[in-house]
Amino acid sequence: MASAANANINAVRETMDVLLEISRLLNTGLDMESLSICVRLCEQGINPEALSSVIKELRKASENLKTTENSTN
Amino acid sequence: MSSCQRINNNNCNSSITELVGALCDSSLTGVSWKRRALGSISREGVQRALRRRAYGALLSKLFQDSSPKPPSPLASTPPRNKMLMISFDLRVCGCPEEAERLEELLGMLKNGPASGLAELDSVLELLFQLAGSVPPPPTSF
Repeated sequence: MASAANANINAVRETMDVLLEISRLLNTGLDMESLSICVRLCEQGINPEALSSVIKELRKASENLKTTENSTN
Repeated sequence: MSSCQRINNNNCNSSITELVGALCDSSLTGVSWKRRALGSISREGVQRALRRRAYGALLSKLFQDSSPKPPSPLASTPPRNKMLMISFDLRVCGCPEEAERLEELLGMLKNGPASGLAELDSVLELLFQLAGSVPPPPTSF
């Protein structure tokens, strides 16, 4: 039972490592933390296309924040 | 404890709300709050605004999907094939090493439950949708 769980954890870890490298190769801008959140959201049934719109929207918002921060410096 | 830490501690049982919150928090990495706290925008206010934008984007896509629209041929293409299309593009653009590595990585991904992920194709679809959404890292000399 425990070894099956360990095998699954190892499989997830290996898959995540490969996905992160694919992500970097494709310049998606996802780091391990955001990638693992996205994986969980996909597993909860969130449409990947909708999720990509959310990520792009959040990037725009945080870029705006950083821009206003720089302009006030 | 931030929502990101909560997600890492309790990865499997996180709700969509918590995960969206964690995604919003992770997008705020690098924003300085010390000066902001003195201004008109508080961290909580920004987090609320980001969540609103995130759910707005999520729901707008949901309503678009329900409207009658002819499906594009790309929509029915399996995500792995879409990745191979990117690999082809990389070769055409003169990046054979990247194309080679992408194909190698795709080959390393196990199918179905052996991968440990239930929705591997959805994740590949997400990566396809986000491909090229940030500039490539600067090359070092």
